[in-house]
Amino acid sequence: MTVLAPRLSLAAALLTLLGLLHPAAARSSDEFSFDLAAFEKKPLEWGGFAEIKFEHMDIGQNSALARLNLYDQPRADLERLSTALQLDGRYSRDSMTVNWVVTATAQQDQLAWADTADIYEAALELKPSPSISITAGKKSYKWGKGYAWNPAGLINRPKDANNPEEALEGYIGAEVDLIRSMDGPLRTMALTGVALPVWQGVNEDFGEENHVNLAAKLYLLYRDTDIDLMLFEGDSRSSRYGIDFSRNLATNFEIHGELAYIPALQQSVLQDNNTLASRERSALSTLLGLRYLNETDLTTIIEYFHNGGGYSEGELAQFLSLIQDGYTEFLASGSESLLDQADLVSQRGYGRAQPGRNYFYVKLTQKEPFDLLYVSPGLTAIVNLDDESWSLSPELAYTGWTNWELRLRLSLTQGDALTEFGSKMFHNKGEIRLRYFF
Amino acid sequence: MKFTQTLILSLTACCAVLFSLSPAMAVDGNEILRQVDRNMQPETYEMYRKLINIEPDGTQKEFVLYSVKKGANKVVALFLDPASEKGRATLRLDDNMWLYIPNVGKPLRITSLQSVVGGVFNNSDILRLDYGQEYNAVDIMDEGETYTLTLKAKTASVAYDNLKMIVDKKNLLPTTIECYAASGLLIKTLHYSKIKDFGDGMVRPSMLETDSPLYKNYRSVMLWAKIAKKELADEVFSLNYLSRIGELR
Repeated sequence: MTVLAPRLSLAAALLTLLGLLHPAAARSSDEFSFDLAAFEKKPLEWGGFAEIKFEHMDIGQNSALARLNLYDQPRADLERLSTALQLDGRYSRDSMTVNWVVTATAQQDQLAWADTADIYEAALELKPSPSISITAGKKSYKWGKGYAWNPAGLINRPKDANNPEEALEGYIGAEVDLIRSMDGPLRTMALTGVALPVWQGVNEDFGEENHVNLAAKLYLLYRDTDIDLMLFEGDSRSSRYGIDFSRNLATNFEIHGELAYIPALQQSVLQDNNTLASRERSALSTLLGLRYLNETDLTTIIEYFHNGGGYSEGELAQFLSLIQDGYTEFLASGSESLLDQADLVSQRGYGRAQPGRNYFYVKLTQKEPFDLLYVSPGLTAIVNLDDESWSLSPELAYTGWTNWELRLRLSLTQGDALTEFGSKMFHNKGEIRLRYFF
Repeated sequence: MKFTQTLILSLTACCAVLFSLSPAMAVDGNEILRQVDRNMQPETYEMYRKLINIEPDGTQKEFVLYSVKKGANKVVALFLDPASEKGRATLRLDDNMWLYIPNVGKPLRITSLQSVVGGVFNNSDILRLDYGQEYNAVDIMDEGETYTLTLKAKTASVAYDNLKMIVDKKNLLPTTIECYAASGLLIKTLHYSKIKDFGDGMVRPSMLETDSPLYKNYRSVMLWAKIAKKELADEVFSLNYLSRIGELR
């Protein structure tokens, strides 16, 4: 109830505000003007967004992850109110620029209050010429051509496949970027080199401490095809190599792909006696995708992802069985030892997003159907091809109010008890999100 | 002798008449198109535009873009307004197009038929190259004060299969362009107006209105506030530079 009361008054206030802001009330002039003075460049430029989101989640009563996280406080559903603020900006002077992205979030549900404040990016960039730039500081890397996943993103943070367009926290490092344009079949060549240290308090979550790692990306625009060659060498993680491509086959049809190879991938594997062991193996990951726009303005994105470093169907089922065994033990004796072990296993890799081997992703977005201006319905599906579990997320976005975005989304998951999406904590989730850009 | 003189004079007069007529009779449509391109925009420039989408009920949605272009095949546009689009940048190299969204952090390939702004303008309208770069003039009709050029796309990757362009003879500027699909379907009509002196010898329309039978009762308008020559490095037109385009202003 502590959540619901402020929610209602907040919703009423927002609706009133949106009604006042509706452009139809204020703007219907047929006279056009353009005052350029309002857009003169300033040394300091900043912007960002503020958002408020309400979620209602139905908890899977028999799902493994609900039992792992809520075994001592079971409940049927959860309601959460959250807010977020993102501030980004840049200060430019001569050939020097400072860029930053800062975020803060706060959320309250019936279980807990949580808040965060993070510097996603803060970097100094020097550009002695248009073909050279040198950057030092915190920067987010988004290598790879895939929409939902980037196996070749060797120094990326993993994306949320359900929200792949959101900002991600960067890593602290130094970067040199060299660009060369030319005539002929090879139009552009660009080399990006990154030094990425891992020390105490610096990039600790990247890998083993007390090493300086190097990553490089060579971009080529060759015969109208984007090609990237990538490598990572260092001791914080094992060496890895990647290649990607993207090309338009027609005015409404694009294809892309990625391939990543890790010769010696170290990972934790759950043993029959419920302990963890380390295993080393080579991992080859691939992604193939397309983007297609049809005559009715329906955009389709389809991707197939083979996660060479993922767990097999049997390995994932073994982890989920451990949770179910732990829950049974807890009910029988009150002992949390098996659940604690399952929690450790989850943190060591089994609990990450899309931990399996083979996935299919499809996103459909229809622009302004039935002449409904600024309304875009969409549908996202993610399928684990090995255990045949899936999630389905229909959504509706409205962008008719300048600088406002309203999104309604429903997420449904389906699968057997010992499958990835069947074991999710929330089986159904409804979400309404209002975002204001400034 | 007299007959010979008369014959020579007659032949000379005929030749003079023929030579004096030949430029008008053999007007080169592609040369007209080249002059239209140069009158519409310098080869290398920066410019500021406002795009306005007008809904049937009169409400408007506006976008402000800063663009730079170099040569016949390189153009990039940066969104300055509204705040929800600020920082987005689109790049075109020949028929290749990319969209950079700051949060996404990497350029995504887009297609010419998509529209990053909605409304009647699509990406090829916003990132327009020289007409002569994408089209050949296959027919020209002298209509008195105007020429009517029929333009055919050079490749299948061009957004419109053919154009019918009406060019004002006096200043060699387009007034109306009809854009057709290969099937003969009229996709949209562009209307240029409000000729303005942008300085440095650049006198051209400052307003473009477009309507489309595919978007009944919707209109889109483009306004130009500044067009100026600017020296630019080729490297500016690359994916790695897209996040820094604003620094060219």
